[in-house]
Amino acid sequence: MSFIELKNIYKKYPGADKNSVSDVSLNIEEKEFIAFVGPSGCGKSTTLRMIAGFEDITAGELYIDGQKMNEVAPKDRGIAMVFQNYALYPHMTVEKNISYGLKNMKVPADEIKKKVDWAIKVLGLEEYRRRKPKNLSGGQRQRVALGRAIVKDTKLFLMDEPLSNLDAKLRVSMRNEISKLHRQIGSTTIYVTHDQIEAMTMADRIVIMKDGIVQQVGKPMDLYKHPANKFVAGFIGSPQMNFYNVTVSGNVVTFEDGSKITLPESITSKLGRQGEFILGIRGEDIKLDAQNIDIFKADKQSAVVENVEVMGNENNLYFTFGGASSVARVSKYEVSEIGDEIEFVLNPMRMHFFDKDTELCCI
Amino acid sequence: MILTKKQRRVEWVFAIIMILLSLLFLFPVVWMIANSFKPDAAITADMNSVRAFIPPAPSGNFFDNYLSIITNTSFLRYMGNTLLYAAALIVLSVIVNGLAGYALAKIDFPFRERWLLIIMMLMIVPTETIITIHFLFIAKMGLLNTVVGYILPMIVNPFNIFLFRQVFISLPDDVWEAAQLDHCSAIKYFFTMVLPMSKTVVATVSVFTFLSVWNDYLWPSLVFTSSDLLTAQIGLNSITANVNTTMGMTLALITMVTIPVIIIYSLFSKQIVEGVVSTGSKEG
Repeated sequence: MSFIELKNIYKKYPGADKNSVSDVSLNIEEKEFIAFVGPSGCGKSTTLRMIAGFEDITAGELYIDGQKMNEVAPKDRGIAMVFQNYALYPHMTVEKNISYGLKNMKVPADEIKKKVDWAIKVLGLEEYRRRKPKNLSGGQRQRVALGRAIVKDTKLFLMDEPLSNLDAKLRVSMRNEISKLHRQIGSTTIYVTHDQIEAMTMADRIVIMKDGIVQQVGKPMDLYKHPANKFVAGFIGSPQMNFYNVTVSGNVVTFEDGSKITLPESITSKLGRQGEFILGIRGEDIKLDAQNIDIFKADKQSAVVENVEVMGNENNLYFTFGGASSVARVSKYEVSEIGDEIEFVLNPMRMHFFDKDTELCCI
Repeated sequence: MILTKKQRRVEWVFAIIMILLSLLFLFPVVWMIANSFKPDAAITADMNSVRAFIPPAPSGNFFDNYLSIITNTSFLRYMGNTLLYAAALIVLSVIVNGLAGYALAKIDFPFRERWLLIIMMLMIVPTETIITIHFLFIAKMGLLNTVVGYILPMIVNPFNIFLFRQVFISLPDDVWEAAQLDHCSAIKYFFTMVLPMSKTVVATVSVFTFLSVWNDYLWPSLVFTSSDLLTAQIGLNSITANVNTTMGMTLALITMVTIPVIIIYSLFSKQIVEGVVSTGSKEG
């Protein structure tokens, strides 16, 4: 049995027309770092709150460490949680915020002191221990919230968008700190975020949700390379995957604007059928370099650059191709300017074909 | 903020009007305090002059009126009684009305909004209209002329419940969730988290409760018959009704009753304003 098991979990709020969470089944192993990711309203926080016990489970079963938890109070589930808005006790100092739970759990005073000192040291809060939350920055408050969670020796950490209130730079450093902390403590962690970069960089496995339904569960690179459907393909990766409505006939792919490319035999045979598809290709698989253009020269395409995003280490070129707005991610050495005509090829080995009706990935 | 010349002139005019109004309201208070140090003859002599607003020069008999009250009457005891009742009522009022306000703000129970509406409607019912019911109730329970009988009907106050509810509704729910994971019970959460996080409204309710007890006349005059239990206002009335009480003593008595109210208002004016303003705040 896995450490956490969600069996056909449903959540429907009173008066709502449809389920907020539908048929979520998932096994989470001990010490795993799993991220729930998806757009706002996809049910990721609701699922987390059902695991925490703050929301009733409408149907289905939840097991933590082999014990059915549906009716167990949050405090008895052996969990610690970090909240989006930190949820610190505003009238208590950093030290008291961290030790409050331990005191309520009747932990001996000397042990509390040891644990609080350890947490404060690990989180670099030594000079702030007597400050109240209002006198701390966002990052420091988030660390206090983490401290409150780590002192409790729980096997399961729940984190509900803990970095969403921080600025971009601080988010990157806190991301790092949370990953380090997870490795150091080794607790199972369920992390909710709407930021796919956070999920990709931190999690062992990612659960992608949309409209209360799990779209795909897998390792970050598996999701990136083999998305189960168009939604996952579009959600994971930055810039977003390019999508084109195409018709496949024989070996030829025809785009909406009449552009054509030829697919290798290996791809068409995998595709299995002909007709209308959605073709997806990531920005980095649109190649502008001479070597790739030479390899796929029969399918060379051209377009006019409409916008350039200079990222420093690379450039994103925006242009219209195949009847859709497209982006190519190119190296910093491939300098183009707005209005330049560029020649490029689409790497057929990196193409994804989605069924036009179901949007499920065909290859 | 940089003000234009015209804005500055308007500010000045506004300030002058406010100062004049304040003086108008302070006028009788200054007169009362100044004359509370004088013998009756001096009060009468100064009546029609500016000296009526100036206290006499400190001398051996400067505090005679006050000393006479302290030595010849039980007024200090009445003041002590009132302070004791106020303290008990403040504690009970914060607990009972606070818990009710918390339930109305944060706990989902059937007809919650209707209950709130009823409580808000009760706010417009004047105390005088229900005082007979209170009296009969307390009399039937055999609690007349007891401290419990005096305090009991004063604990629940619809305005205080509403005040607490308006503040508690804006408290973040995730703090309660975090507290639950920290093994904090609902009651402990109320006392160790909710009340400390709502210091302003606790201060406001405490001040309002103190003032209502301190200034109350009708209810204690009905409940108390024993002179040992009298409040300051009733004591003031019974002492001034005595033929031996001089005008100076009366003014000293009124000063003694007024000073605590002035002190409380000056110390907590910010909280009182904030507390009342919060009742009109948007629901969170």
